[in-house]
Amino acid sequence: MSGGPRRGYVPWSIVALGGLAIVAAPWVIGEGALRFLSEAMLMLAMAQMWNLLAGYAGLVSMGQQVFVGLGAYSLFFASISLNIAPFWVLPVAPLVCAVVAAIVALFMFRLREAYFAIGTWVFSEVVSLLVSKTDRLGGERGVGLPTARLIDPRWLEPLTFWISAAIAIAAVFGTYALLRSRVGLGLMTVRDNDVAAASIGVDVWRNRFIAFVIAAAGCGLAGAVSFTATLYVAPGFAFDPNWVVAMMIIVIIGGIGTLEGPIVGVIIYFALREALTVFFGLSAGWYLIGLGIVAIAAILFEPDGLWPLLRGHLGGDWLSVRREPPAPPRIATVTPAVEGVRSSASGLGATPGDR
Amino acid sequence: MIWVETIVNGVLYGGLYGLLGVGLALIVGVMRVVNLSHGEFIVLSAFIGVSLLGVFPWIHPLVLLLPVAVIAFGLGFALQAVLINRVVTRPDPFAAILLTFGVAVVMRNLMVEVYGADLRHLQAGRLAQASTGIGDLHVGVLPLLILALSIALFTALQLLLTRTRFGRIVRATADHRDVVRLMGVNPGRVYNLVMGLSLALASVAGMLLAIRASFSPYSGVERLLVAFEVVVLGGLGSFWGAMFGGIALGVAELVGLRLDPNAGPLYAHLLFLVGVLLRPNGLFRVRA
Amino acid sequence: MTLLDVQALDAFYGDFQALFGVSLHVEAGETVALIGANGAGKTTFLRSLVGLIDHRRGDIRFAGESITGEPAERISRLGLSLVPEGRLLFPSLNVEENLLMGALNQRPGAWNLARVYQLFPILRERRRQSPNALSGGQQHMVAIGRALMSNPKLLLCDEISLGLAPLVVDQIYESLGHIRAEGASIVLVEQDVKRAAGAADRVYCLLKGRVTLHGQARGLGLEQLSRAYFGT
Repeated sequence: MSGGPRRGYVPWSIVALGGLAIVAAPWVIGEGALRFLSEAMLMLAMAQMWNLLAGYAGLVSMGQQVFVGLGAYSLFFASISLNIAPFWVLPVAPLVCAVVAAIVALFMFRLREAYFAIGTWVFSEVVSLLVSKTDRLGGERGVGLPTARLIDPRWLEPLTFWISAAIAIAAVFGTYALLRSRVGLGLMTVRDNDVAAASIGVDVWRNRFIAFVIAAAGCGLAGAVSFTATLYVAPGFAFDPNWVVAMMIIVIIGGIGTLEGPIVGVIIYFALREALTVFFGLSAGWYLIGLGIVAIAAILFEPDGLWPLLRGHLGGDWLSVRREPPAPPRIATVTPAVEGVRSSASGLGATPGDR
Repeated sequence: MIWVETIVNGVLYGGLYGLLGVGLALIVGVMRVVNLSHGEFIVLSAFIGVSLLGVFPWIHPLVLLLPVAVIAFGLGFALQAVLINRVVTRPDPFAAILLTFGVAVVMRNLMVEVYGADLRHLQAGRLAQASTGIGDLHVGVLPLLILALSIALFTALQLLLTRTRFGRIVRATADHRDVVRLMGVNPGRVYNLVMGLSLALASVAGMLLAIRASFSPYSGVERLLVAFEVVVLGGLGSFWGAMFGGIALGVAELVGLRLDPNAGPLYAHLLFLVGVLLRPNGLFRVRA
Repeated sequence: MTLLDVQALDAFYGDFQALFGVSLHVEAGETVALIGANGAGKTTFLRSLVGLIDHRRGDIRFAGESITGEPAERISRLGLSLVPEGRLLFPSLNVEENLLMGALNQRPGAWNLARVYQLFPILRERRRQSPNALSGGQQHMVAIGRALMSNPKLLLCDEISLGLAPLVVDQIYESLGHIRAEGASIVLVEQDVKRAAGAADRVYCLLKGRVTLHGQARGLGLEQLSRAYFGT
């Protein structure tokens, strides 16, 4: 029995069914519902990114909205200046964000914990202010997306939906793949105890750097699609801290440091939002108050979020990134058990808790 | 001459920024918690001031500083006792950040619901416009008052911490939360009082800032960022460092505004980012 | 009168059990030594007495009162004082302020600032300095002085000779004589068996959380002691 990542339980039948449902959806459900689902899936992608940072890399970023906005702006201007339909230049968004993130990391990583958190927020405000003052970028009023005309309007919603779904799936399974890799194992050791991790040779800085760049790219991509759907971007919306508020609330309520947590969190977030605004007819402010109170309650009473509570009822992990320690070598039998000492990575053993 | 005036005014308002930050520096130093709702309490104090003025319109806003500070003290005490004390002993350093962030979100949106999203202002009458001259130099009377008040409060805080029994207890609790229990001190109660003090100081800054500039429920974010920048630039946990950090930010902002009227707090933020890049332990580290 | 009576004390750090059914008693006026190797549970025992260990089971009686479930803040008022392992002085306070912290729960008695300075004259010279500027021995003096300021009935000393030169340890142990003369009882936790047994009336030995030996200090032989200490 070799050591290494435990198999996650994701049956192929569900995957195939899910894929079919996504492809078929635009013909089956109305435009309003499509838009709602697109928003939810983009939010899921962003939440996974924030979770990657806070739940696995130990980085609480309160400025993540800067990448949402930068992704949107870079897409808009790439599309406009090259006069190509927006979806063709999507890769520009994550690329720009990755580069900016790499540079930002160089000085933000000097700050620890809470100071890093607010430092990233300050950076976001700086970018927002700079964009507001730059007329060529549309200034405070922002810009529209004339090249959207290049897309057949009947396909705009379905395309947005499929791309959002693809991004959400990539975010979830990409993070899954990352965490099952060596980089992922490194990340989790850093999260659990960065001093101990450094002492066994894990490059703390490099692992965090990789996570930070990936999270920036992911948020940039999601932000680009989100604003393409609205056909308009302005600094107030693009760099709005409420993006990161939503990411945080989703992850905290759903379950920080687990892959299934953000999925649960997104469902609860949107269910609460619809319930409070549609059902009870409250204004947007009240639903944020309600969500804030739920988040506070979560931190006080269930800091690990709802997922650990649901796991038991739902038959175990869907997407486990837990490692098994290698089985001890069986001395009494003939077959050698050298498989168990495959690499130093698996020798570290299982991470404690449900992470 | 205009430049000297600008810089002098920057110094004077910098005292205010220092005051915005010192409350935060206090709780960071004592309990290693960054209160992300600090900005919202600063704004809330201003709104309480507005409400009180509505009830007693004949009173000058400066007189209301004390009652608002007392109210803020009570709110801080309650915040710590009911919420923050439950997470302060957890090994996870982020629980307190996330918790106070949740509080900030709730407070911000509650203030919008209760007071509306419009910009407000605390009228200080002629005092806000008055200026006095030293030779050719014109300096606002209000900024001078603010600086004097800031220095007085800083000094009082310093004396409280270094010369009194309470200050001794606070410093000892900050050093070793467990060991003070052996001497009969309940760390939770110390934290309650310190948080109360922190928000009382913040409320004074909030009121004074509301006299100078308009505010809305959304201004909390900006106040928090300034307070935070003051703390970091000053060297975490250092009080006079926070004062100097505040002054640096004040000068940066006013000089920036003269160069670039639409900048808002941009130049202050840029100073902070440069400061972090060059000296992450604080530009003005003063041994506390 | 039995000042301290501990019956069957279990103590836990989370799920890990550190003490197993430890029973120990101290009579008024006695000096009791608690010896054992590193990790035997000596510090855990003292911390359990003063209320710093949350998870404990058993019965602890001090001056007749049961203090098993009490929090540290309340126990500190009853006359039980700890000189912690590693001294744990307050670096943000100067020497005098550290001593004054000990007086927060001051009970009536002989010990006050002047008396502590009499016991340790070097501290009066250095009273405005930060504890970090003091030598190891002087820091131990501050820690002991701080614990004395509340006029405890029972002084618990955790490794007060650790890391000090023999001459300095002599000084410290000499001060114990003065402390005893003022009426305090003492529990001495030490790794240095000779010192502890020499200064005490009775000796207990701990090994892996259990009492392995108990008797009059004078009557204990070297072989007996090392068996109890090392478990061989």
